[in-house]
Amino acid sequence: MSHITLSAKAVTRHVDCRSLVPNLLSDKSMAEIAAMRLAADLTVADVFEVSVEADEAHTITFLNTTSAHQYIGFAMTAGQIIVAGDAGDYLGAQLQNGVLICKGNAGARAGDRMRRGMLLIEGNVGEYCASDMMAGTLGVLGNTGAYLGYGMKRGTLLLAQAPAAQATWIDCGLHKLPFLNILYKSFKRLDSRFTQINSQRVQRLVGDMGGLGKAEMLVIQP
Amino acid sequence: MVINGVDIDDTFAEAFNMRGTRILITAQNLRWAYNAANAMTGFATSVIGCGVEAGIERELTEDETPDGRPGLSVLMFAMGSKVLMQQLETRMGQCILTCPTAAAFAGIESEDMISLGKHLRFFGDGHQVSKQIPDANGKRKRYWRIPVMDGEFLTEETTGMVRAIGGGNFLVLGASQAQVLTACEAAIDAMRQHPNVIMPFPGGVVRSGSKVGSKYPKMFASTNDAFCPTLKGVVKSELDPRVESVMEIVVNGLSFEDIAVSMKAGIEAACGLGKDNGILRISAGNYGGKLGQHHFKLRPILSGEVK
Repeated sequence: MSHITLSAKAVTRHVDCRSLVPNLLSDKSMAEIAAMRLAADLTVADVFEVSVEADEAHTITFLNTTSAHQYIGFAMTAGQIIVAGDAGDYLGAQLQNGVLICKGNAGARAGDRMRRGMLLIEGNVGEYCASDMMAGTLGVLGNTGAYLGYGMKRGTLLLAQAPAAQATWIDCGLHKLPFLNILYKSFKRLDSRFTQINSQRVQRLVGDMGGLGKAEMLVIQP
Repeated sequence: MVINGVDIDDTFAEAFNMRGTRILITAQNLRWAYNAANAMTGFATSVIGCGVEAGIERELTEDETPDGRPGLSVLMFAMGSKVLMQQLETRMGQCILTCPTAAAFAGIESEDMISLGKHLRFFGDGHQVSKQIPDANGKRKRYWRIPVMDGEFLTEETTGMVRAIGGGNFLVLGASQAQVLTACEAAIDAMRQHPNVIMPFPGGVVRSGSKVGSKYPKMFASTNDAFCPTLKGVVKSELDPRVESVMEIVVNGLSFEDIAVSMKAGIEAACGLGKDNGILRISAGNYGGKLGQHHFKLRPILSGEVK
């Protein structure tokens, strides 16, 4: 187990971060991580300062990232990723398990085809957030873009801000849901602004009726 | 051995291996948690006729429950895993699912996990929602949210099944029915201060202790005539002329130590009323020691030799 910190260097191109997940890096040394290829002409050392500390946690922290850093947390299966900055497109796409926290804004397709685990975004997200999402929990404290939950099958979108109305999402009204207390308790062990949420009263929307229609958006009420 | 003028028989309670589980029941307030738990543990006094033996273990504060609401912990025991699973599912469906605001959670961890809401989820008719949420230790647990008319019924998918012991007991013998009942009430109050045990009979006390067999061929148990005060002189009685009433407290627990500790507390509380208040003897029920795997010897337990 280790705590890996990847401090982003200034870049002028997109950086594909899909191989930088805890399950792929956990048994690698600092030198091995630095030498990993992110593209044919790009190594980790070209775009990140790498540090590794022995730790009981199974965590990667990204520092200074921007919208150029794409596919962070792609298909991760375990552990935790903290993005202490912005993230590009496909943040947490195909997430299989674990916890991914983004303290800044995220690009398009956050949580695309996510299957399990928890993706918590403290800032805003771009369009097609949770597209084709299959299950799991995706929280957004900021604003959401167009086509939210497009093709979403199952899972929960926890929203602090009301989304734009969409024809394929049905408003099921306001409710107090006891399970939210359990979810909020699970946030307490995380370093995230999500720990401040405590309202069990939510507006529930169900969709995407253009597909399976078993997903839900829960819009937290004050 | 004599405690406060009360004779302690040199005998033992004979107890059996059982399977047990614990369920945490929460609700909007304790009133409704009790409504759910009382229904779930109703008609669960003896495996002979009820399938399981169950009872409320204790109240839980909001800090102790998974969903932060007031609650109760319930222990349930059966002679085998199959009947325990059947009874748990039936009682979950009829007593917890039906009770307004009630939710149910696993109360014990084990390698053997049995269904709590795993099959009950189908009541949702396709609208049920599964949520996997990590607990305080980061271990993911699966919950089911089932739409019901008062909102959502929330239940954890499974709970643990563990090896347990049932049939610890002691008898309180006294000069009158009222005095024995008062002593038993004191004993139950003391025993309920201890975790991991339940006393499954009404109010924790049973007045119809039984012996194995009967003069009627179809009956496999019948009244414990040796301890029936109205049969003194008619049968080979265990009672001396002063005894006018006998009551039994049966205790099931998760371990031998749990039962022994609670029995000690209960007997000491019963003896606290003393000979002056009509409590004359403490004895225990057994079958000669050949049937039960566990023997709770009264005198070593009370002297502290067995903990």
